[in-house]
Amino acid sequence: MKKVSPFSPTARILVQIVMIILVVASLLPLYNVISASLKSIDEYPTNPVLLPKAPIFDNYKYAAFAGHLIRFTVNSLIYVPVGVALYVVICLMAGYAFGKMRFAFRRSIFLLVLFMSIFPQLLLATQVSKLISLMHLTNTGLGVILSWVAYFSPFGTYIMTTYFADMPYELVEAARIDGASQVRILVSIMAPLALPMIATIAIIGFQSMWNELPFSMLILQQESLRTVTLGIAVLRGEYGLRVPILSAALVIAMIVPLLIFLLFQRYITLGVTAGAMKG
Amino acid sequence: MHNRRGFERDGAAPYVFLAPLLVLLAAFMIYPVVMNIITSFTEWKGYGPWKWIWLANYKTMIADEEFWTSIKNTALMVLYIPLSTIVTLLITAFLREGIRGWKVYRAILYIPNLLGYVLMGVIFSIYLRDDGVLNMAIKRLTGSTIHFLITPVLAINAVGFLLVVFLHLGFGLIYFLAAMNGIDKSIYEAALIDGAGFWRTLFKVSIPSIRFSVEFWVVFSFIEVFARMFSFIHTLTQGGPGYSTFTLEYGIFIQAFSKFKVGYSSAWSVVLFLFCAMISIAQIRLMKRRDE
Repeated sequence: MKKVSPFSPTARILVQIVMIILVVASLLPLYNVISASLKSIDEYPTNPVLLPKAPIFDNYKYAAFAGHLIRFTVNSLIYVPVGVALYVVICLMAGYAFGKMRFAFRRSIFLLVLFMSIFPQLLLATQVSKLISLMHLTNTGLGVILSWVAYFSPFGTYIMTTYFADMPYELVEAARIDGASQVRILVSIMAPLALPMIATIAIIGFQSMWNELPFSMLILQQESLRTVTLGIAVLRGEYGLRVPILSAALVIAMIVPLLIFLLFQRYITLGVTAGAMKG
Repeated sequence: MHNRRGFERDGAAPYVFLAPLLVLLAAFMIYPVVMNIITSFTEWKGYGPWKWIWLANYKTMIADEEFWTSIKNTALMVLYIPLSTIVTLLITAFLREGIRGWKVYRAILYIPNLLGYVLMGVIFSIYLRDDGVLNMAIKRLTGSTIHFLITPVLAINAVGFLLVVFLHLGFGLIYFLAAMNGIDKSIYEAALIDGAGFWRTLFKVSIPSIRFSVEFWVVFSFIEVFARMFSFIHTLTQGGPGYSTFTLEYGIFIQAFSKFKVGYSSAWSVVLFLFCAMISIAQIRLMKRRDE
């Protein structure tokens, strides 16, 4: 990255040592879980630390089927993409309106949306679950999707707004002189230009919804409907569940988030800088 | 939002574009908050009719030891924010010097952010057990066990350190690295020619140049502490032992969904709402200052 540096060679080695200790320390909990998942229920209490003597996959079989981890993952893979699609459309439209259109109370409404983006879920949870039940959407995918889209949209809208606000106004002006409608300007000019940012908020939305707990906990009470995150949280609370089985369930639950990281690393990096309110 | 050109308006179109968002927010955010304020003056189980008891919930709350523990714990989390900021900036500065393998380090330290609070909470609930890898190593070295999740003072500090410092490290590294890469390279070269060492470069060049990013980071950390801790606590300690790892958010959850005192939990919610309003004001002020 850099050629010149204020580090002496000794300092460099010290820094490397510090970094290696840090990275190893942060990987140990993962090691704990992965190695436990490969040990039999009898082996784990006698050998919690070292690698398994002979790795077994029974825990995975149990977690995947009896523990329903496969079903929960499939549920998440259905709810989350639908939620993200809705979320992207809503944030795109609202972001464009705030960033590039003129209307009364624009700034006040925008600040209100920004304020809502920091609300804690527990502040809303009781009433959201009541509302969902009034709409007869308890124990439905649609119910949880609606609650997610509503809760996460303010933040996505905020990001899209700052992005559109920074775009040159001349683009809109030129299109309007040509007589294009606002919908056409958004769909055929602005949205294509904003594609990298759309991908970024899609990833942010995906991660937020994938890892969401309180709303899904209240809305999806039926076991067969659980998301993978909810499934893990419930397993954790199950009294007497053995560590190797819980560990195998955790490893299964890690697969999709890690895949997303490997596939979309660039947008995750963009998301951090856009998401942290571009300092 | 800088494009204030004239007073000509776009007619109805903006409201149409905003309608889906505003309808959802009215139903799922504004209505719940208003209802919260109303129900905080009632005795209500969350279903059936409610009884108006006006300020009684607030009086109970002020006398409730659990409430004050929650406030104290939330304050303790806040005390971890300076540590988190310093550690994150320091490691960012290490990585910025282009030490070998910095990209791998950055990726590995980001893993907790990918897995999210629920998975990380469960992972640490295994790791910090008396028979987890960490305690086995400690036992090998010292002969004794540290009951991280059983001793109240250790449990709440474990939550604070893990959530505020460790779980945000990977996120902060990417954020601050991006900010520091935006600094003019010639400033660093000038500092080097002046003979500035690592520490002086960090405190006199890097940090002052990204002051707004650092301030946003602090605001972001406050949001995390007040508004995003539930999932981690629920999966790591479930508020326990006793109520020693309650935060405001977790207390609301227990009052409403395990004790079914929804009216009473609303009074806690109003307090949390006021804290969030203060954070939001700080955030908006900071944005205004940056834009100037």
